[in-house]
Amino acid sequence: MSAQLLSRELSGIFARPLFSVRKGQRGACKRAGDMVFFEPAGRNKPEFRMGRGPRSMEDTPLMLHTLLELGESMLTDGAEIRSVEDTLRRMGMAYGAVRMDVFVITSSIVLTMCFPDGTSATQTRRIEKSGMTNFRKLEDINSLSRAYCEKPFPAEELSERMHAVKYAKPSVPRFLLGSMLAGFAFTVFFGGSAADGLLAAVFALLVCALQLYLPLLCRNKVMFSFLSAFATGLLISLCGRLLPSVHSDKVIIGDIMLLIPGIAFTNSVKNLFVGDTLSGIMRMIETLLWAAALTIGFVLASWLLGV
Amino acid sequence: MGQATQLLTALLGSLGFALIFNVRGRYLVTASLGGMLAWGVYLAVGTLAPDIFLPTAAASAAVTAYSEAFARLKKTPAIQYLIVGLLPLVPGGSLYYAMRELMERNLAKAGECGFQTALYALGIAAGISMTLSVIEIFKNAKRLKKKS
Repeated sequence: MSAQLLSRELSGIFARPLFSVRKGQRGACKRAGDMVFFEPAGRNKPEFRMGRGPRSMEDTPLMLHTLLELGESMLTDGAEIRSVEDTLRRMGMAYGAVRMDVFVITSSIVLTMCFPDGTSATQTRRIEKSGMTNFRKLEDINSLSRAYCEKPFPAEELSERMHAVKYAKPSVPRFLLGSMLAGFAFTVFFGGSAADGLLAAVFALLVCALQLYLPLLCRNKVMFSFLSAFATGLLISLCGRLLPSVHSDKVIIGDIMLLIPGIAFTNSVKNLFVGDTLSGIMRMIETLLWAAALTIGFVLASWLLGV
Repeated sequence: MGQATQLLTALLGSLGFALIFNVRGRYLVTASLGGMLAWGVYLAVGTLAPDIFLPTAAASAAVTAYSEAFARLKKTPAIQYLIVGLLPLVPGGSLYYAMRELMERNLAKAGECGFQTALYALGIAAGISMTLSVIEIFKNAKRLKKKS
C-alpha cells in the first residue's frame, strides 16, 4: 500500500476522533506500526520532516549507539540536561524517527526512537564518570549536531566524526596555566596581597596534579574533595607558619576556588529552573556534599597547624 | 585595594577558569569579560543597595542575559559563557570563613558567614532563573504571534 494511499485512508478513519485538529489546520496522518501521527503541513524545517531521513535498517543500532555516546560526552563535558535532550531529539528526528523519547538525568540516559515502519529501538546508558569540563569539545559536538540536523549524513560518518571529536585530548599546559592564573587572581580578589597570590599560583600546580592523578586512586568525589583539600591546606598552612607575612587564609580561599564545584552548582540551578527538577536536585545535593567536604578538609588542615 | 583591582582580578580569574574549562581560543575574551561584567554589576548595584542578595541577583541576571545573547550570536552553547562569568560571584571566601568559625566554636560568626554564603548562592540562582524565565516568555510570545 503506498504511503499516500495509507495516509488518505488513515486521515479518513482516524483524524477526527484521535486528534484534536484545529479547524482549518492542514496536514497528514501518518502511521508507524501501532501509532498514528498527525504531521501539520507547512512546517518544513528539517527537524519537522517526520520520518524522512537517511535511515536504514542496518545502521539503526549504530545510530542509537552513536547518539548515546554523543549524549554521554555532552553530559560529562558540562552541558545542561535540557540541551542534551534537545540535541538528541533533533538528531533522531533528522535521522528519520517519527518520535523520539529522550530522558536524561545526570547519571543515566534513556533513548527510544520510533520509526515510520513501526519498529522502535531503545537503549539506556548509565553515566558513571563525572569527567572534566571541556567546553571546546562541547562546542564541537554542538556544531556537529547542527550540521547533522541541517543535512543528515550516514550513521558511519557521524560515528567517525563524533569519535574524532570525542577523543581529542585537552591540553595540559593550558590547564596548568589557567589554574595558576585563577589561583592568583582569586587570592587577590578576596583581599590577599600580590605575594599571597603568587604563593596561591604555586599551590595551584599542586591542586592540578591532585585533580589529574588523585581520581585514579580515589573515585569517590566526596573523598577526593576532602583529601585534596586536606593535603593542599596542610602545605599552605605550613607555609603560613614558616613565613609570617603570608595570609594563609587568603591563599586557601584562592585555591578553594579551583576545587569548588561552581560549574556543577550553576548547572544544577539552571536545571532546576528549566524544569529538570530531578537532575537539579541530584546535582545540587552532590554539590553541597562536595563543598562541605572541601571546606572541612581545608579548615581541618589549618586548624591542626594552628594558623 | 580598590574596586579597580577587584574588577581586574575578576577578569583574570575568569580568564583562568576559561582556560581550565578549555574554552575555545576565540571565545576566551568574550567569556572572561562576562566575569568582569558580573563584578561590575555587583559593585554598581551594591552602591545603590548595600546588601548581598540583590547585587548578586542583578549580576547573575546580567551574566545570564550576556551569555544567552552571545550564544545566539555565535551559535555556541550558552553554558560556557555563563559558568565562566558567574565565577566571581561564587562565595568561596564566606564558605571558608563559615566553616572555620564553626571549628573554632564562634557560632554567631559562623552563622553570619554561612548566611552570607547562602545569600550569594540564592542570588546566583535567582538571577539565572529570572533571566531564563523572561527569555522563555518572550520566546513563547513570539511563537504564539507567528502561529496566529
